[in-house]
Amino acid sequence: MRRTAEQARIERLLWRGGFGPRPKDRQRLRSHAAALDHLFAPGKGPSLVGPEPTTKDGGRLDPFNEYGHDSVWWLDRSVRARDQLRERMTLNWHDHWACSNSKVNDPRLMFAYYKVLREHSLGNFRDLARAMVRSNAMQIFLDLVGSTDESPNENFAREFFELFTLGAGNGYTERDIRESARALTGFTYDYDSKSFGFDQKRHDGGVKRILGAQGRFDALDVVDRALANKHHAPYLCEKLWGYLSPRPIPPRLLKRTVDAYRSSKFELKPVIRLMLSDPALYAGIDEPDMVKSPVVYVAGMLRQTGAGVRTTDWAWMLDGMGQVPFYPPNVSGWPSNSEWLSTGAVQARFSAANRMIEKTIEDGSISSKQSADEALADAIRFAGRPWTSRRTEKTLHGYARASVAGRNEDYEVKHYWPERQRVLRHILLAGPDAQVC
Amino acid sequence: MRRPGCDDWRHTQHALERQGGRTVAIPREALDGLAEFERQGGLSRRNVLAGGVGLVLGVAGAGRLTTRGVLEAAVAEAADNPNGTILVSIYLDGGNDGLNTLVPLAEPRYRELRGRIGIAPETTLALPDAPQFGWHPSLGGLKELYDAGKVAVLPSIDYANPDQSHFTSNGYWRTGIVGDSNERTGWLGRTLDAIGSRSNPLQGISVSYGLDPILNSAKVPVAAVYDPSNFDFWIPDVWDSKAFLPSYRRIAQAAAKHGALGDVRRVYGDAIEARDLLQPLAKEKEPPPPPVAYPEDGLGEPLRNLGRMLGAGFGTRIAALSSGGYDTHEGQPDAHAKLLQNLGDSLKAWQADLDARQLSDRVLTLVWSEFGRRPEDNDSQGTDHGAGGLLLLVGNRANGGIRSEFPGLGQLDDDENLRVTTDFRSVYATILEDWIGVEAARILPNGPRGKLPLVRAA
Repeated sequence: MRRTAEQARIERLLWRGGFGPRPKDRQRLRSHAAALDHLFAPGKGPSLVGPEPTTKDGGRLDPFNEYGHDSVWWLDRSVRARDQLRERMTLNWHDHWACSNSKVNDPRLMFAYYKVLREHSLGNFRDLARAMVRSNAMQIFLDLVGSTDESPNENFAREFFELFTLGAGNGYTERDIRESARALTGFTYDYDSKSFGFDQKRHDGGVKRILGAQGRFDALDVVDRALANKHHAPYLCEKLWGYLSPRPIPPRLLKRTVDAYRSSKFELKPVIRLMLSDPALYAGIDEPDMVKSPVVYVAGMLRQTGAGVRTTDWAWMLDGMGQVPFYPPNVSGWPSNSEWLSTGAVQARFSAANRMIEKTIEDGSISSKQSADEALADAIRFAGRPWTSRRTEKTLHGYARASVAGRNEDYEVKHYWPERQRVLRHILLAGPDAQVC
Repeated sequence: MRRPGCDDWRHTQHALERQGGRTVAIPREALDGLAEFERQGGLSRRNVLAGGVGLVLGVAGAGRLTTRGVLEAAVAEAADNPNGTILVSIYLDGGNDGLNTLVPLAEPRYRELRGRIGIAPETTLALPDAPQFGWHPSLGGLKELYDAGKVAVLPSIDYANPDQSHFTSNGYWRTGIVGDSNERTGWLGRTLDAIGSRSNPLQGISVSYGLDPILNSAKVPVAAVYDPSNFDFWIPDVWDSKAFLPSYRRIAQAAAKHGALGDVRRVYGDAIEARDLLQPLAKEKEPPPPPVAYPEDGLGEPLRNLGRMLGAGFGTRIAALSSGGYDTHEGQPDAHAKLLQNLGDSLKAWQADLDARQLSDRVLTLVWSEFGRRPEDNDSQGTDHGAGGLLLLVGNRANGGIRSEFPGLGQLDDDENLRVTTDFRSVYATILEDWIGVEAARILPNGPRGKLPLVRAA
């Protein structure tokens, strides 16, 4: 499936800044500039586009009560969101500010957390960080609730510096963690009434010394102390780049994005825009160079084929591949790139494509006049014109010719012509080439 | 939906289940003198078979290998040696209660601390050489093995200042690294990185659907195979996998310009290779029955499956499996009795199966858990997280007997837990050097590596 350099750039942009192209996107977004504008200004219209998600029986999702429905709900947003960049960044922030329902154990709190991530995903990082301090799900996940002046819990403070704002060992000390933990005391949670609050009496109102300044700091001051640190902007910009590209960020791009971030007082949009426009994102454009995460892979496949979410089996299938929304493995988030791969994950990714092709072609539905080229063209159309390497293309051509050769009996035509189509579609959707973007 | 275990346990489950397998992206730790050797394609089963030892040494000479490098190349060759030693790791998930597994009969405080769920001394099963202990009454199967001298027992094993989070402790045990680290490889995965082959995914088998993180490797392929009869690829309404596997194989073998696609293709190749290797077992209509029947649930099935795979001679050096339910915060007596019954009976059937396959001199089975439980029982007929767990090493060449100091219940640690007398990494070091044949320092970057008398000479 040959494409022009411009098409390849558009494609990469839509995979990195969203969940891959829908067939219509290819017709609509003719230039890279147009595609970039579209990501940042998706225009008016319903926020979700496409068929509503259902269970296998056609029922509605029940994310607050049914096992796995919460994760499938998230998957569906990724598939249908008109504002793809916002939705993709929400998933990235879920990885950055990792928080798991396996500890929080209350889908309602997790949904509130999702909403906050999404609201700020292209906004201002300071607002996002302040909102995370106050997120009830996060407060449970990192033991902020129940942390008192008498025994401050350092969990949140430690991760706040190490993972959320500065990077491991980057410009802060154990003392900064201890003092920040004091500033973060006082949040309360009553398990029986499920009510959250703040108790001034359990807050340590004393003077603290955090990252080189002294004062009667409270929880939100900790955010500002961290953001004022010189290590923050480079750390965050580099981490954001890691969501968009597997290659190291070029020093000049790091400098430009850090400058933009600082001069705008922590605005995220300019940073993301610079990164998505930079030539470095399009290095090695003739071959995709990033392993799709399971959510990107599945959402992308549903978008490419135009199918909606029609089963909650996706929850355990995503589990088999290693990424379930609302359940990151721990506070440092999910693996990335090639870390996703194992023989078990390969089996899971292989099986996932079965859901896309099952019952799409009945035996007896394809004429023996269909040529190998026509068969391949049909499969490519079905799979949403995915990238394939020359070698893969050759293999597919060879298969399309050989698989039906000499099979001329009626019963053979009836089965093997459709079987050829099933296999071609499967390789296009689940083969190694389909795992990278 | 109510899931078993405490919140911390569930949290940890999710964390572990989501780890990748062959963690290809991690920068390869330089293998000392082997770097040049590796640049030339490393040692694979194919080129060993094709060129034999001469080729290995020839390459070694060309690559200016250190002496250790040559030795390691020889060990790597042994990875494909059909007579290599095999380690099987069985993880008791949740924190097994060591004090009710091996009951300290001689401790007067036991009755007081375990007033609610203590095991009555007269019901325990005697250890001929250690009258101060008695096995839980459900451990008849294990007792038989112990009495035959095939079980080394280490009570109160852990690490200094033990952490009582499942996630933390479990991570330490699995990576073999205590303290903060971002290590994604498991200690057994690293072991295979050091001694394994570049081409045999069945050298390390996780008997599960997702890969056990203890087997996460950086360089060599490993596989997650729960059931060898059922490890296959299929596409709906495609009659025969011959229709698509050749194409998949061809695509997996193609070169790639960038690491990402190359890694994907390689892992696809590993998965298909594992599938091909397992075909003889998949085709076996009815596997011959084991000499002693395995329990139908718990560890019975995965061990039976593993027995078939080891019997087929795939060059497996390491296997890992686990058994859940040990996080007994409530209703412990019934639940724990069932678990131990399953454990003892499974191990007994396992040893008999290995005997029948003439493998029992080559297999050591390590049974471990992330921590022990609090000596004082709780108000819910259960026990909370503690320290100092119980570890077993089972096999013909295990040095049977009580093999580490039991600290007693007279004095507990500051958290009212059993005092730790033995660091688990000294067991790892012993296994690595005395059983697998690899220098422990290569696999365990920090901590004590003193060895214990756990393995008998052949």
